[in-house]
Amino acid sequence: MSHLDTELTELKAEIIKMWALVNNQLRKAQEALLSLDKDLAHEVISHEKRVNAYELKLDRDCENIFALFNPVAVDLRFVLATLKINTNIERTGDIAAGIAKFVVNVDNSFDKELLTLTRVDEMYSAAINMMEDVLEAFENEDTVKARGVFKQDGLLDKINEAANKTIANYIRENVDQIDEAMYLLSTIRKLERVGDQAKNMAEEIIFYIEAKVLKHRSTKEKVKTPKAE
Amino acid sequence: MNKIESKGVNFFYGQTQALKDINISIKPNTVTALIGPSGCGKSTYLRLFNRMNDLIDDTRVEGEVLIDGKNIYDKHVNVDELRKNVGMVFQKPNPFPKTIFENVAYGLRVNGVSDKQVIAERVEKSIQQVALWDEVKDKLKKSAFELSGGQQQRLCIARALAIQPSVLLMDEPTSALDPISTAKIEELMYELKSDYTIVVVTHNMQQAGRISDSTAFFYMGELIEHDNTKVIFTNPNKERTQNYITGRFG
Repeated sequence: MSHLDTELTELKAEIIKMWALVNNQLRKAQEALLSLDKDLAHEVISHEKRVNAYELKLDRDCENIFALFNPVAVDLRFVLATLKINTNIERTGDIAAGIAKFVVNVDNSFDKELLTLTRVDEMYSAAINMMEDVLEAFENEDTVKARGVFKQDGLLDKINEAANKTIANYIRENVDQIDEAMYLLSTIRKLERVGDQAKNMAEEIIFYIEAKVLKHRSTKEKVKTPKAE
Repeated sequence: MNKIESKGVNFFYGQTQALKDINISIKPNTVTALIGPSGCGKSTYLRLFNRMNDLIDDTRVEGEVLIDGKNIYDKHVNVDELRKNVGMVFQKPNPFPKTIFENVAYGLRVNGVSDKQVIAERVEKSIQQVALWDEVKDKLKKSAFELSGGQQQRLCIARALAIQPSVLLMDEPTSALDPISTAKIEELMYELKSDYTIVVVTHNMQQAGRISDSTAFFYMGELIEHDNTKVIFTNPNKERTQNYITGRFG
């Protein structure tokens, strides 16, 4: 294995570790939210520093590879994609920590009825599923899997769009639960952004493997699998 | 119209075929980089453009090499005239054992220019074109060997330019130079392309990326891929090109 190959393999291993950590942060924040486990929420918040440290290290590693190895073609696309995915993962980590902070700040547990009405649990699981699929796509260089992520985002958008009305109605009838309802609405907004980050990452994976730029294209165009040559 | 075109070019050293069916079109006022592993035929191909290979015994060319639409291997072509139009710079600076001035004036004199004023003007212009004038204007009567390697190479480029070619061939022109001299030559190539068509052989991938508009990748006498340099270095069409430029060859 060439020196550059070793560096690229290490870079990939490192970002996968960070990615797994962030997916874990999301899962813990979900559990903390549903069971109002403040200890678990504190754990998520404290682990956010590890995510940030990973981001800085990966930025530096990419910079070093650019400066020392001048990667080209697929190597160049891999390092560029990794650099952008690094930012996407870090932002997703921020979202997990943000949800955990809501759990710490809220006084009462979330009303089970509201959780059911907003479908937040379903949305949360779908967001985590997208993050896991996109990680798997990255690990296995699987662009079919990456394309599947674009389709999954529809559910998140749907739940997000319905949330305003559902929560407004709930608040009218449960004025004493305004804080909890607002935290939940913010959580739904954050989960919608997790979906966007996962889609951005899927675009980067396709760019690095197929050299195709899918940014700002319609979902229909994105999910279209290229014909075999 | 293309400045240079090769159509179905085969080249043989005795029985050994060094180039196989090479078809390339080169636009005027561009820099084309020829890349590939040692022995792939890129220097042989470069030397076809000024018929330098004619000087090697037992060699044979098939196909057509057109410059400005004329086949330079046509039997009526005057090779001396061709070489006036197609200048060449080599890997190692090779100044003549003469003064700095005479090195550049030599080609003019050989080609029958005798007017001292014309020679002086052409020498100064050529040395200025290679950004060497300020460094040598006070020592034009000194030996060219007193110059540094980078300066000698720029002097050799000035010597090639003095006879006013329209094509400049460069065979690894910076491989013997330090990074500063290399940067100066690269900058020079970028500036010269507005007046000349440049074809350069290089082993330095980053250099090919920096200086050229198009890049041709040769392997074992075959042209594997010729495309816009940006395409070659970001998303080449052929796997062999990708393997070579990413260092995973063989």
